[in-house]
Amino acid sequence: MAAGSSAEKAPLIRKLESIANLSDAAREAVSALPMTVRVVEARQDLARDKDQPAHCCLLLTGWACRYKLLNEGRRQILSLHVPGDIPDSQSLHLRVLDHGLATLTQCRVGFLPHESLRELCVRFPDAASALWRDTLIDAAIFREWMTGIGRRTAHGRIAHVFCEMYLKLHAVGLAENHRCPWPITQTDLGDALGLTNVHVNRMLQDLRAQALIGPRYSELVIYDWDALCALGEFDETYLHMERKAAA
Amino acid sequence: MNLDLKPVRVATGSGDEEGRLIFADGYLVAVLVQLSDEHGAEARKWFFEAGFGQLAGPDQPTFADLDEAKAWITRRLR
Repeated sequence: MAAGSSAEKAPLIRKLESIANLSDAAREAVSALPMTVRVVEARQDLARDKDQPAHCCLLLTGWACRYKLLNEGRRQILSLHVPGDIPDSQSLHLRVLDHGLATLTQCRVGFLPHESLRELCVRFPDAASALWRDTLIDAAIFREWMTGIGRRTAHGRIAHVFCEMYLKLHAVGLAENHRCPWPITQTDLGDALGLTNVHVNRMLQDLRAQALIGPRYSELVIYDWDALCALGEFDETYLHMERKAAA
Repeated sequence: MNLDLKPVRVATGSGDEEGRLIFADGYLVAVLVQLSDEHGAEARKWFFEAGFGQLAGPDQPTFADLDEAKAWITRRLR
């Protein structure tokens, strides 16, 4: 456990500034938030269903997910998270968590005390408004995922999540030129999209055969952005980014 | 319950073509497909491609062989 430097909040500031305008004073206040930092191995819970945390988790490196577990180990991944995200920001206002939060890869995680975040919101309304905007966009992403799981084809779901995660990573400086790391397993991807591992594998082979994406799973290389967007019926409006990626 | 298997070719849009129609007491209840080499370590296992009635739904396991698949289907149909 280590105290996080102000520089470590860079992903959060980048993320907030990709969706909202922050005043200099608010940016400084976010940088000065007290934070303890811990390295958490892959596949560890950061918070469990029914927990009542006193802090929020800020992802500094690595990928995490929110999830629900059903009987017989059936898991639905509800959302994917990358550096700059605060996946449990709802715990600031909703006392009990209604789902789990876990790392998918090794992560550096900053723990931000609720008390400090509340004080930030009271003193800097533009920071409060940026966090509020972030939770609204979070809900917009859920609407897209619901539409995808309910109505998109397997091809469409995979194409859509590739486009979404590329833009999210690009917003925090972790993707460029239609390339980004893809560190989660095919099983994780299937659990996020409501697909079996067999279907994920078939769809990936097909996207490669169509020359839409590169050959290696561990790095997403998008050869044809427009075609991938068309296949996934991807319209980035729901991400409400102030600064657009050069797509 | 009597399970009958009938070979069939399935258009999965992939290299997985070799399939079996599974009939329970004469009724079609499931389609299994053998995974091709495209699936690496899972190749030659049997995937529960589609189920009907009680076997419909998101649960689509992969089985090491047809006997394992038949045992699972029998349990589910009880």
